[in-house]
Amino acid sequence: MTDYWLSKLFFDLQHDGKLAAEFRSDMAAVIGRYEIKPEIRKALLEDDVGTIAPRVNAYLLRFYFQIRGMPESEFMARLHALQQRKEAAHG
Amino acid sequence: MADLVGVFAASHGPIIARDWETMPTGHRNKLAAGFDEIGRRLKACRPDLLVVISPDHWVNFFISNLPAVCIGIGEEHDGPPEPFMKKVFPHQRLKGHAAFGRHLLETALDGDFEPALSHRLKLDHGTCIPLWRIGVDIQLPIVPLIVNDLEEPMPSIRRCLAWGRLLRRAIESYPEPLRIAVLGTGGLSHSIGESTMGWIDEEFDHNCIKHFEDGQEERLAAFLTHALPRTGNGAHEIRDWVIAHAAAGSKGFELIDYFPSPETLVGAGFASWTVGK
Repeated sequence: MTDYWLSKLFFDLQHDGKLAAEFRSDMAAVIGRYEIKPEIRKALLEDDVGTIAPRVNAYLLRFYFQIRGMPESEFMARLHALQQRKEAAHG
Repeated sequence: MADLVGVFAASHGPIIARDWETMPTGHRNKLAAGFDEIGRRLKACRPDLLVVISPDHWVNFFISNLPAVCIGIGEEHDGPPEPFMKKVFPHQRLKGHAAFGRHLLETALDGDFEPALSHRLKLDHGTCIPLWRIGVDIQLPIVPLIVNDLEEPMPSIRRCLAWGRLLRRAIESYPEPLRIAVLGTGGLSHSIGESTMGWIDEEFDHNCIKHFEDGQEERLAAFLTHALPRTGNGAHEIRDWVIAHAAAGSKGFELIDYFPSPETLVGAGFASWTVGK
């Protein structure tokens, strides 16, 4: 299910360099300006890819973790772990 | 009347720009050869304007307002806003072609299509990586046809075929003797920001190529309608190839090159269509 405000945060970060810089220095303050649910706020603060991924467009997700400074190899490894979990759940 | 003088398609991907200088030489050369061949053929067509069919990577549109299709009808457009594009394609403004853009829009509305319109689009890496690598003359006017290939639900493949036919009709009914070329960008298979990220589905890619070569629209539509939900999300950009294909009359497809490019995370495809009457 798409989370509008999470998507909006990611979209704004992609378009606004100043906001992205502010986000890097104080994530919680920027998140606080959006109607982000508490569990999503927690997931953002913990870089919890698994909770965030199903709620936002995959391209925005990639941009977001680039802005977060996560190396693409690590981002991909976290996504692949989700796939392994999915496959394990389906036997 | 205007003439359709060339139809082409090429992959794109941010890493092509970001890592162009640092990727393995052999791989860069293979990518360069595909783009160069399109550039050579495009130049030989001597186009007066280029219609570029591409997705928007969350640059112009957002989920608060997301058109299925948008036609750029402005006198000019903005160059790519992505930081990784600025070093390789530093053009801040690209020429549009307002008169043909408007004609395409009116032809669409007259044909019961309802695209969005924009008098000024930002042309992101989806448009500008191919323009950069094929070495397009920066003075060549561009008419962007932006298709939602990123966020579901997306236009059906059958509708994309209809868009291609409509584009052809608009070109052939344009009253000035312009030479118009078409470039579809994106694909082939890739997977971005999802749990299969990095997957290049070669079987899907080879099947796409086979269906373009066969030229049977119904079979192409049936294949893609079934296969797209089962492969990586980036493959949805094949819609841009489908529109180009139908603009060419769904025949005359020629594969210039295809190879999986894990270095850039895409199934790299380069193609042109022989344009018949």
